[in-house]
Amino acid sequence: MKMAIAWGCLVPSRRSLLGYEAATRKVLEHLDVEIVDVPNETCCAPFWMQSLDIATSRAMAARNLAKAEEMGLDMLTPCSGCFHSYKRVNHTIEKYPGVHDQINNILRTAGLRYEGTVEAFHLVDFLYNQIGLDVIQSKIVKDFEGIDLGLRYGCHMLKPHEILNIEYSERPTFADEILEGLGATSKQYTGRHRCCGGLLRGTEDDLADEVLRDRLIDAKEADVDALVTVCSLCHIQHDMGQRIIKNKFGIEDLDIPVLHYPQLLALAFGFSPKEIGLQQHTASTASFAAKLKAGAPVEGGGK
Amino acid sequence: MTNMGQTDEIRTQRDDAPIRDEDVDRAFKYEVANQVGGEGLLRCLKCGACSGGCPVGAVTDYRPRKVLGNVLLGLKDLVLSSEDIWMCAACFTCEERCVQEVNFTDIVTILRNMAVKEGHAAEGYLEMAKTVVEHGRVVPMTFAVNKMRDKLDLPPLQEPAMDEIAKIIQASGFDKILALYKGRDRT
Repeated sequence: MKMAIAWGCLVPSRRSLLGYEAATRKVLEHLDVEIVDVPNETCCAPFWMQSLDIATSRAMAARNLAKAEEMGLDMLTPCSGCFHSYKRVNHTIEKYPGVHDQINNILRTAGLRYEGTVEAFHLVDFLYNQIGLDVIQSKIVKDFEGIDLGLRYGCHMLKPHEILNIEYSERPTFADEILEGLGATSKQYTGRHRCCGGLLRGTEDDLADEVLRDRLIDAKEADVDALVTVCSLCHIQHDMGQRIIKNKFGIEDLDIPVLHYPQLLALAFGFSPKEIGLQQHTASTASFAAKLKAGAPVEGGGK
Repeated sequence: MTNMGQTDEIRTQRDDAPIRDEDVDRAFKYEVANQVGGEGLLRCLKCGACSGGCPVGAVTDYRPRKVLGNVLLGLKDLVLSSEDIWMCAACFTCEERCVQEVNFTDIVTILRNMAVKEGHAAEGYLEMAKTVVEHGRVVPMTFAVNKMRDKLDLPPLQEPAMDEIAKIIQASGFDKILALYKGRDRT
């Protein structure tokens, strides 16, 4: 299988997010998925840009889709913001032909055109629906038995389901199924589906802190070995944000490792914590790595 | 932000009342409803399901229903100049739950776009846009980034297609929007 891939702005350039890219590359290669980076990828112009001018945002998102279309490939992305932008453009084009013309009138000045034929996939949805749990399980060499995970689906991979078309957002299960398939327990806990306030970071910082504080208290009370995120903003909030929340609100013992979803798969496939960047997260992942190391490898498994 | 409207300092209905004829723009709701994504506005029953599920509403007295109510009333100046429309975190929970398919988050986008043209853009988002216009990405590509990438065995970042970005923002008119804010101090 061959896919175009858009990494987004944050994933390939923030210290604590580089492991998301590293793990994604390793996992996809291990699953025999060939990926081609979108040539000279530019910002997908997500919600904050839509807020300033939606016409510009649509054309900017369509730019990357047009490049995938030129290559004749569908588009994969690990970033929920990018995923949302691409799905939104496709949905709008289909529903409003006039908007499609508007997008192409803008793109034409840059020598581009987007017909609307590229399907966009979020990495996690792709793993579940295009690869499948059985294939993933056949590659496991490390059992996650005894590991408790707190999975966050985040907002922009699922909502609104009318546009994103993965699973209804109130009680999703697909991403839990893969984690459980690795042998871990994916814990249900209060607040796991609630917004982390990530999009308010940089413009309403106090508000972003207030929302995040509640999410981190939820996660702390859930008593998990690690949180798992699928969204760059969720990770920035929960990982880098822990220090802010600790100091600002005087909350002690807030040291929850926050992993990127494909890092779990990479570890299960036998890759080392170091090659998928676990040491680069802001909240230490050492306790998680130690607990995992103590567990027994799968009998007869081999990378 | 100076006043986040914490629940221990509740703003009352009296702050905005009474509403007088001269405050009302009767065409406002149609102006919003006629835009892409705004069609659901006129179906709003003001049931409040949007406010009930709002994560920002859980920590402040921000209420999506109140924004919708003010739009339906025609309080154009108040809505477009208020901080409220910039408090939405775009989690889409209200949109997901609304029985009337009002699509509040899309309506917030429309309101923000209108507010931006009147000079009320949120500074934080504006700064991000300037970075993208200048560097093609929200996080500029630097030597340090590529060094970190190299350590993890990742390929160097590609140069973003700056020529295409420049043409896109010119054709969409975004350069003119940014020009509105030129020289303004970040507050």
